[in-house]
Parts: sequence; C-alpha cells; structure tokens
Amino acid sequence: MASADLIFCSRYPFTKQAKDYVSESGLELTSTLVEKAEARVNNALVTGKVKRVAELPDAREEELAIYAGARMIVSSANNRYIISRYAVAEAKRAGEYLAGDDAANNGHVELVASEFGVRFEKKGKDYLVPLSAYLPFTPRSMDYKLTNRELENGFVLVSRHERIRMMEEAVKKKIEGSLPIRAQFSEDITEAGKRMLALIPKLEVATVSVGQENYPPCIKKMLEDLALSINLPHTARVALGIYLVSAGVTTDKIVDYFRHAPDFSEKTTRYQVEHLRSHKYNMPSCSTMDSYGVCIADCRCGTPLRYRDAINGARLRRLAAEKKE
Amino acid sequence: MDEQPTDAPHHSVRTLEEEFLHKKFSSHYSQSRINVLRPESREFGFGGWEKKIEFRHIRVKNESELRSRLVSEAPLYISHSVAYYEFPDARPMVKKNWLSADLVFDLDAEGHTCGKFTCQHCMEKVKGEAHQLIEEFLLPDFGFSKNELSINFSGSRGYHVHVRSEAVAQLDREARREIADYVTGTGLLFDRLFWKEGKKFFGPKTADGGFGGKFARAFVKRLDNDEFALSISRKLKKPEEREKLRASIQTGNWDNIGIANREEKLAEKFAQMRLTLAGRIDANVTADTSKLIRMADSIHGGSGFAAKSVDSLDAFEPMKDAPIFNEGEQKVKITEAVPALTIRDHSFGPFVPGATATLPMACAVYLLCKKAATLA
Ligand code: SF4
Repeated sequence: MASADLIFCSRYPFTKQAKDYVSESGLELTSTLVEKAEARVNNALVTGKVKRVAELPDAREEELAIYAGARMIVSSANNRYIISRYAVAEAKRAGEYLAGDDAANNGHVELVASEFGVRFEKKGKDYLVPLSAYLPFTPRSMDYKLTNRELENGFVLVSRHERIRMMEEAVKKKIEGSLPIRAQFSEDITEAGKRMLALIPKLEVATVSVGQENYPPCIKKMLEDLALSINLPHTARVALGIYLVSAGVTTDKIVDYFRHAPDFSEKTTRYQVEHLRSHKYNMPSCSTMDSYGVCIADCRCGTPLRYRDAINGARLRRLAAEKKE
Repeated sequence: MDEQPTDAPHHSVRTLEEEFLHKKFSSHYSQSRINVLRPESREFGFGGWEKKIEFRHIRVKNESELRSRLVSEAPLYISHSVAYYEFPDARPMVKKNWLSADLVFDLDAEGHTCGKFTCQHCMEKVKGEAHQLIEEFLLPDFGFSKNELSINFSGSRGYHVHVRSEAVAQLDREARREIADYVTGTGLLFDRLFWKEGKKFFGPKTADGGFGGKFARAFVKRLDNDEFALSISRKLKKPEEREKLRASIQTGNWDNIGIANREEKLAEKFAQMRLTLAGRIDANVTADTSKLIRMADSIHGGSGFAAKSVDSLDAFEPMKDAPIFNEGEQKVKITEAVPALTIRDHSFGPFVPGATATLPMACAVYLLCKKAATLA
C-alpha cells in the first residue's frame, strides 16, 4: 500500500481504508502500544481530547495499532459515558485533521465524506449537501436551524467550516455506534478498561444512585441517561420535568439532574422547570410516554405518577391474599 | 383508561343506527380497493364512537387478513402507523423495532369555528394550504418528486400528504421536527438572513433557496403595491426608485436608495409577511415517528366519506368525490338542527329537530355519522 494511503489511514483510523490496512498488515499490539492506547483513552476522558502525534513515518502504523487498542479498552470498560466521551474526543481529533486537509486540498476530505455516503458539491465558496445528510449530521442548535437555511431542491448550503463540523458529528456517531466491540480481551486490555471505569468522575456515578427506588422504570432510565450525558429528546425532558415537579422534587434538585445534559444551561433549565411548576401541566399518560419512545416497561399503572400506587397496591393485594390462605 | 387491549372487544349492544352503519361499512370493505403499502409491517389502530383509536398495536399478516378484519369488524375509524416495524404488535413501543417511516404532513382546518357540519369555506381554505405545502415546500425546497408524494383527503375537512422517499425514511423525531419547523417557519430569524457590511445592508437574493428567497421574491412583488411601497419609504413614490430597489434586491443588496430606519422597517415587514409565507401543518404529526394516521381510502366514521386518495388536488372536490354510499335512499328522522348542505350535487336541509326526510344514501349516512339523525 502506498504511503500516501498510510497517512490517510493514520489520520482517519475509523475508515474502511484504515481497517483494511490493519487487517492486511497484521499489526501487533505490543505492551508498549497497549500503554499508549490507554493513554489515548485516558486523555480523551480527562481532557476531552485525543492528542495528535508528530506524523513521523514510523509513527503512522503505530497510530493505527494504538487506535485499535483504544477501542478494545473502551469496549472492555463497556460504559455508555466512556463510549460517548471517547467518541467525541476522537471526532475532534478527526475534525482537526480534516480542517488541515481541507486547506491542503488533497482529496482526503472527500474520501472521509464518502465513508458516510455523503457527497458535498462545491458551490462558490460553500457546499451543497443533501438534506438526508444535513439533518442527521448537524447538531440541533440555533446555528444549524433548517428554517434559517438555504434549502433548495433537497440540498442545504453549508460553509466550509460547517462541512468539517458535520463530518466531525458523523465521525462521533459512527464511533459511538460501533462500540462496544464484543470480544474476549487480553488481560492487559481488561485491566486498562477497569482503570478507565475508575476515572468516571465520582459525580456522574453519584447522581445515578440517589434514592429513587419508587420512581417508575421510564423515569429512572431518563435520569440515568441524563447523568451519562446522553441526550434526551425535548418531549422526554418535558415529561421528566413534569414528573419530578409533581413528585415534589425541588427546582434546585431538578436542575442538578439536568446538569450533565449535553447542552445544559443553568438559566434555561431553571426557567423551564419554574415554567412547568407554575403552569401545572398534566403528566403524560403511559401510552403517550410510549409514543415518545421513553416507556420501557409495562407497569399497568396508566400514568407514571400512579406507578407507586400500582406497585404498592399489588403488594398489598398479595399480602391480603397471603393472609387469607 | 390507558390500557388499550390489542384485541377487538365483544361488541356490546349496538343501536339500530350503529348496526346499519356497520353493515354499510362492512359491505364497502368487501368490495373496495385497499391502499396500504406494506401492511404486514404496520401497526393498525381501530376506533369506534368513543375514541378514534380505541384498539391499537394490531398486526395483520397481509392485505387479505386486513380486508377480512375490516369486513368483519367494520370499525368506524381505521388508522395505521406511519412507521414500518419488525414486530408491529409488540409492546411497549421500543420492542416493535422501528425500521423506517413515511414522512407525513397533516393539514386541518385550524381554528375551524363553523360547528360540526362541513363548511365549504373551511374546506377550500385547507385545500389551498395543501396546495401551498406541495408547490412551495415539498417540491421546490425539499426536492421530492411528485411520485414520492401521495395525498389523501382526511374524510373530514383536512388532507394528509405522505412522502415515501429514501432520503427521509430513516430520519428520527428531531430531524423530522426540523422539517416541520422549516415548513411552519418556526425559529425563523431576521438577524440570520440580513446583515450589515459597512454602510450597506445585505440580505437574501430573489433566486435564493429557503425562506430568505421566499421573502425576497414576495417582497419584490409587493413593491407594486403603492401602500406597501410607501410604508417603507416616501422615496418609493417614484417608479424609477422602485425599479432601482427591486433590481438591487435581486442581487442581495437591500438598500441602494437610502431608506430611513431601514432595519426596523424591513424587520417589521418580515415579521408580517413570514406568516403568509409559512405553511400550516400540525408539526406534532410530522415529528411523530410512530403516529397512527387514517388509512387512505378508508371510511371516516364521523362523515361516512372516504379518506380518498387524491390524484389532482385542483380537481378534487371533497363533497362530490369523497362520499361513497351512492346507491338507494334512506328515510331518517332529524334529531338536531341541520344547516343547508350539498352532498354529491344533492342539496338538502335546513332541517329542524323532529323532521323526517327521505334522502340519497350518502346524505343519510352523513347525518347518521354526525349523530344528527336516526333511522325512520
Ligand atoms: S408503563 Fe408507564 S410507568 Fe411504566 S415505564 Fe411505561 S410509561 Fe413508565
């Protein structure tokens, strides 16, 4: 394989080209490389970044092996928070390379885009991208709000910088979706995985296990997701907010629950919770929760608010029945 | 009651009218064309007098099973999921294993205040909105092709537009919400479309895509209107100045004539005009990837009309084309005041409660469905 390709592969180790390169060259994961792989994951978790190393010819193959090792370590830790934080950091690294390659104009950017089945068409200084790629690969923020965009014949106009940002998002989704790898790992990998688990900030773990025994499964799951910085759709957040307000949880506490949401803003969250409180919204029924995609059990309680009664009722009935016998 | 049994109920005692409609609906379903793509992958919902969706999570193996259920149960309302699932009858929803979904747009006579009887005015209005959705958004902006769209009348006043396109089938709720927000102009910001550069004031060009282009085109057109033009600047009294501004906007320069307070003026026009430029759809329906929506060509139990598939929106006349029971007559006794109506060229009413009338079948079925008459 030509060395130009190796440059591409080491910069974008998540691509098919890189995978092929690794399987053809039979790279070996020595213990030094495992150490470096651990450092890569460690960096990602602690600083949110994966360092770019000097691109010496020798380092390139190594870089590929380290990436493979890092994926194994993350998989062995098998924790949603680690996976998502690691994916974000890898995506940032790729984004930096993409920005450089974009200026160098060497075709790398198109090649990465094709990895996601996306073609950007040049239009003046900008690019046209199909809506089917624009929507999944842009963050849901005011900057990317479709309403304020030029949309024509199924294509959206994006700037050069936004094109790179979109690919970063695509890389993140791809890495997130491909982890964990299910396999048996060697001992040094699993040990490294354990050390990564220990890195999860104490806070994250603490929030998950506050006394919520009486919360219904859907609510528990949403709180867990929030603590792990997993994005909840708007409808789900509103439902969660209404539940917590009706369950008598204080605004401060509710804001704390939302603190790890990927797009958390203290001011907005506080305002929204207060809004829910003062408007006395009705709790969505279980079938509505189900249609939001957040119902995960069949508790037969009608609304999450009656969950406690429903399980207590069942317990009381059981006790009564036992007494009779 | 939130529990929704998946199986049809043992039919409780029906009134004579319910029995009558049941027979009518059933015989219709035994002969009519069924128009559902991939019924085996959809969730179905059936409804009755109480609720439009009383039973959901229903799965059918194929079209013939669907037909036989429709013939035997003849529900008043039939809906199916916009989504395709691996296990359409599984519960809770996550276990259905969502595969993809049509993109749907629901248009209804919003703020309709003319009572429960059909009103020509509302119907025309919604039809115009459906037309706008297709001609100004779905085809030019989203770039769907005509054969990816299927339109049907809702059976009452509105229309549903289903988009079946690879480009959108996999989109999740949030992406669909973006699409709905685009159509309704939600989150549209003047500041995002206009900017200052030195002394100049730039904005969208008339040839631009998106809302910017829509606004620029509409604005340029409205400059013909004296009142509109003068409310922007007295200078526009002169036709040459109007022409000059118009030509400049084509290129994205929104002020080459020196408009006083131009930012406020333009922002104000923008705020007024965005409403007419935006589409009027129910955004929640579009965003809902597991929505149950009326089956095309099924009967709407509140009118007895078909939720008819529409080939040409312009040529479609709901009160002529949607009624399906076109044979025979039926004598009915009026139980509540009925205004003058025309169904399939037959004009009848107004009626006062207690009156009896022998009406063409479609009219009689309509009044029975509206619960405004009983059999006589
Ligand atoms: S059945 Fe109700 S309470 Fe239970 S998980 Fe679903 S929505 Fe929550």
